[in-house]
Amino acid sequence: MTAAATKEHPTGLRVRVDGVSVSFAAPGGRLTALDGCSLDVPAGSFTVVIGPNGCGKSTLLRVIAGLLKPDRGVVHVGAAAPAPGDPRVGLAFQQPRLLPWLTTAENVALPLALRGVAPAERATRAKEALDRVGIGDAGQLSPRELSGGMAQRAGLARALITDPPVLLLDEPFSALDALTREAFDTELQRLWLQRPRTLILVTHSVPEAVRLADQVAVMTARPGSVARLVDVELPRPREVGIASDARATEAEAAIRASLASVHPPELAPWTGQA
Amino acid sequence: MRRLTGFVLSLAAFLAAWKVLTIVTGTPSYILPAPEVVGERALRAIGSGILWEHLWATLAEVILGFALGALAAVATGVALGKSVLIERVLSPYIVAAQAVPVLALAPLLDIWFGGGLFARVLVCALIVFFPIAIATMVGIRSADPLLREMLRSLGASPAQLTARLEIPSALPVIFGGLRVGVTLAVIGAVVAEWVSAGTGLGVLINIADQGLFDTPLMFVALAALGIIGLSFYSLVVLVERRLIHSA
Repeated sequence: MTAAATKEHPTGLRVRVDGVSVSFAAPGGRLTALDGCSLDVPAGSFTVVIGPNGCGKSTLLRVIAGLLKPDRGVVHVGAAAPAPGDPRVGLAFQQPRLLPWLTTAENVALPLALRGVAPAERATRAKEALDRVGIGDAGQLSPRELSGGMAQRAGLARALITDPPVLLLDEPFSALDALTREAFDTELQRLWLQRPRTLILVTHSVPEAVRLADQVAVMTARPGSVARLVDVELPRPREVGIASDARATEAEAAIRASLASVHPPELAPWTGQA
Repeated sequence: MRRLTGFVLSLAAFLAAWKVLTIVTGTPSYILPAPEVVGERALRAIGSGILWEHLWATLAEVILGFALGALAAVATGVALGKSVLIERVLSPYIVAAQAVPVLALAPLLDIWFGGGLFARVLVCALIVFFPIAIATMVGIRSADPLLREMLRSLGASPAQLTARLEIPSALPVIFGGLRVGVTLAVIGAVVAEWVSAGTGLGVLINIADQGLFDTPLMFVALAALGIIGLSFYSLVVLVERRLIHSA
């Protein structure tokens, strides 16, 4: 049913966030996470959302995934507002979030199991999804036996198995070491080029944003909103060495300048960061 | 194998200490019979069929009572864990029922259900219920909120959330409750038998006591109860090891 969803939308779906505010009950009042946040993500584009911890990046992804209802404003995925567990949206988290009592393949096939897909088809598609993220031989392992990077790949495979037209990635590589992370970025780009879809990645790494994004949305501090959009016009596929390209340096400077302009300097340690 | 050797050695030490105690104190057999006297009495009780008759009755009560109580407790525990409203409404009654000693409730159940097997099974089920229900409730609530959100993002229904996340994460805690519950079931059976006579190891203890002063037979019944409790406890642990790989 979801495979059909992507076939209907061969290049993904447009995502529009318009004037969205979200607040949570907190000790001693309400905490406003997003305030008047707007973002337009063209169908099939690779958008990176960047900002420091606590600026509402994750909240924004949850609103797009339909897991949080905004207090004000509207969200559209394609023509309709997203619902919790929307089959058009895949979500991968900062932690792999695998169920320890299932094998890796069973974890990857979990979205299919929840929709009543037969076991034989689940196994075939889990193998395909694991192959796509480069750990085709790990299916029978327990999540406990996976390295951090492998577990994160399994989490990505789980989000990819239903082939959703919109894929949301919430800092999926932030717990990995720098080298593994670069390899991941390259692979993520390859996966996206093979199968274009709308991809929104949350990160707080400026170089990663430049390596991956068509457009970078820079967020303000909490309550968060998108302060500026920076377009990154660089040819693909981009390699790690792209950072030395003049246009990449320019884009990176523009992103850092935007971050510096919306965050007080004492709260903006990234501005000096390589 | 090593575990078995350890058990045999500790049993031998226990029996030897027991034997030494009877020799040193010179206690008469109707107060503290020596182990071989109890052993010989056990063989006679087995030979005459009296032990089996009472053992089967108690065994049936323990098995049925534990099964009924555990099933009801897990179902209730899931409901308590999932709904704060249900917990608020039900928990005062559950706690109050637990606070009343089952020994005091057994005569009432005996009147209501006519002193048959069902009344005794109910006493077992009642005593088993509390620890398992509370363990299940606590276990259900202990499910990782990050995994909960992951399943929600995949569109899992509340029933799927329970089956795929809450119960599997609660299993180690539920088994803690089952371990306690299964030994309590044996206590429940004996209490119920004392209230509504018939057959059972509790009845056998009364028979041995009343006028006969057949203390060795009493010891045989006590040992049988201990063995039942130990066997069921081991069975629960075995199932737990099978189901929970990390245990």
